[in-house]
Amino acid sequence: MADLRLLAFDTSGPHCAASLLINGTNVAAAREEMKQGQAERLIPMLEDVMAREGAVWEELDAIAVGIGPGNFTGIRIAVSAARGLALGLGIPAIGVSTFEAVRDDAPARLGDIVMVMLPGPRDVEYFQVFDGPDPVAAPGMLDTRGSGYSFGTARALPDALGHRKITGVTGLKAYPVAVDLGGDIPGSISQPESDRLEKIVVNPATLARIAARRLTAGAPIPRPAPLYVRPADAAPSSDPPPVILP
Amino acid sequence: MTRTLTVLGIETSCDDTAAAVVRSDRTILASNVADQTALHAAFGGVVPEIAARAHTEKLDHAVEAALAASGHALKDLDAIAVTAGPGLIGGVLSGVMLAKGLSAASGVPLVGVNHLAGHALTPRLTDDLAFPYLVLLASGGHCQFLIAHGADRFERLGGTIDDAPGEAFDKTARLLGLPQPGGPSVEAEAAKGDPARFDFPRPLLNRPGCDMSFSGLKTAVLRERDKIVSDKGGLTRQDRSDLAAGFQAAVADVLAEKARRAISAYLDHAPEAPAIAVAGGVAANRTIRAALDRVAADGGLRFVAPPLQLCTDNAAMIAWAGIEALRDGYDTSEPVVARPRWPLDRSQAPMLGSGKKGAKA
Repeated sequence: MADLRLLAFDTSGPHCAASLLINGTNVAAAREEMKQGQAERLIPMLEDVMAREGAVWEELDAIAVGIGPGNFTGIRIAVSAARGLALGLGIPAIGVSTFEAVRDDAPARLGDIVMVMLPGPRDVEYFQVFDGPDPVAAPGMLDTRGSGYSFGTARALPDALGHRKITGVTGLKAYPVAVDLGGDIPGSISQPESDRLEKIVVNPATLARIAARRLTAGAPIPRPAPLYVRPADAAPSSDPPPVILP
Repeated sequence: MTRTLTVLGIETSCDDTAAAVVRSDRTILASNVADQTALHAAFGGVVPEIAARAHTEKLDHAVEAALAASGHALKDLDAIAVTAGPGLIGGVLSGVMLAKGLSAASGVPLVGVNHLAGHALTPRLTDDLAFPYLVLLASGGHCQFLIAHGADRFERLGGTIDDAPGEAFDKTARLLGLPQPGGPSVEAEAAKGDPARFDFPRPLLNRPGCDMSFSGLKTAVLRERDKIVSDKGGLTRQDRSDLAAGFQAAVADVLAEKARRAISAYLDHAPEAPAIAVAGGVAANRTIRAALDRVAADGGLRFVAPPLQLCTDNAAMIAWAGIEALRDGYDTSEPVVARPRWPLDRSQAPMLGSGKKGAKA
């Protein structure tokens, strides 16, 4: 990655964070905690980060953007801005999930097959299992209310894993879930800073590093899309239409 | 002689993802609208979260297509105009953030446009109408009579105190088992019916002023429908057509009578070339259009109805409103803020959604 320049940002939680990666080095970064106001703060923050290094938009090779999971509005703010910047600059925007970022930052002692669990709203947990850097299956969610787990999409995990065993977990609630799923975990648990998703610190430098690898790999890069995991709340219309008589 | 401006317009405030390129000589170089009807069909109405999700992943494609069709590169444009409200905030935010990204990347200045101003200024794009003119904005989300005195100066004479007429058409379609969107399906059904069989209410006609109400009308349709269903076990095709025709006639009567009052208030301003324009999807209804046309003729006003694709939500009107704002000295250094509520006439008391968040429209 010779002299690659990437600008990365994330607004998936109550924060606005950005980082400029030049030639693999995080040369400038900014992070502000905020419950709202990311839509107003994001672009000026990006301009500040660039200006600090005397960087100009035209020299960027790619945009890296955090796609969540997280606050729905927050991930749309970042993804929409990334798509706008990418279209305006004629460069790719690369979406990186919080699962991928946490996996990338996880300590090596967790082994190859790592389950990343992120707290969602209320009692929902989001999870994804990785084999090395690659996901074993699409992200899923499970309900941890009460004593047992409602596995939801996790039921399909053993099939996706096949003969592979989960070797490490990250996230407070992942350990018992991984054990239930037949994981063989030699006590290697990496606890995130908190069990609440909004407190997990997404580091834009990690997003940039992952995006840089993807860019150098040369495979086609799809446009970034928010990773909601949870479907939109919407109930089909309950009012039945009248019977039409012949 | 002013410089010709070429502006990109972006619209995402409801369920249409739209981008357009318009020139200040009133030429629409490209106008691209991707609707989401199919996504919302099962839910009997627009679901805000579903709409926001779709806008986020469709809008950049719509912009690319509009730019390509216009033959202009983004950098060659004079401004990017984006709907900043009022509307469903998730979609508005997607549009505003994409526009901010485009603007930062290209250095092309950004103009935040009021969606309602887009509708209200459309008659100037299509027919070069001179201020002041009267405009009836009637759509799925809005219904108001406005005098357009200038590109940023609107006087609201009255509006709906509850549902918008487009919403009433959608709800009536649902009550009668007709497909969404309700406007065209109720109109087609009404064409086969007898508008006089049911005596539906004409709400607020007995009160002075230009305020309207459409919520009780929909309840009246429900009551008549249920009466027939409990008598016969269902609706005959004729029942359905008659209900649709009766409903449509009531809406047309209310809009026509309130238009008559709005015209008289407007004529007090002694406009040189008096005109009334319609905007919004409801203006596509032929019965309503004919009723308004008659009232306009009675008052000696020119009647202007833009083509349908410029009456319903689109981005050409947003680009045009941006052009008008720039000509009026709009300050593009002001940050654009997405807002769900943004009344056009800031001098009037809020009509809808008062409460702590302020007026919706």
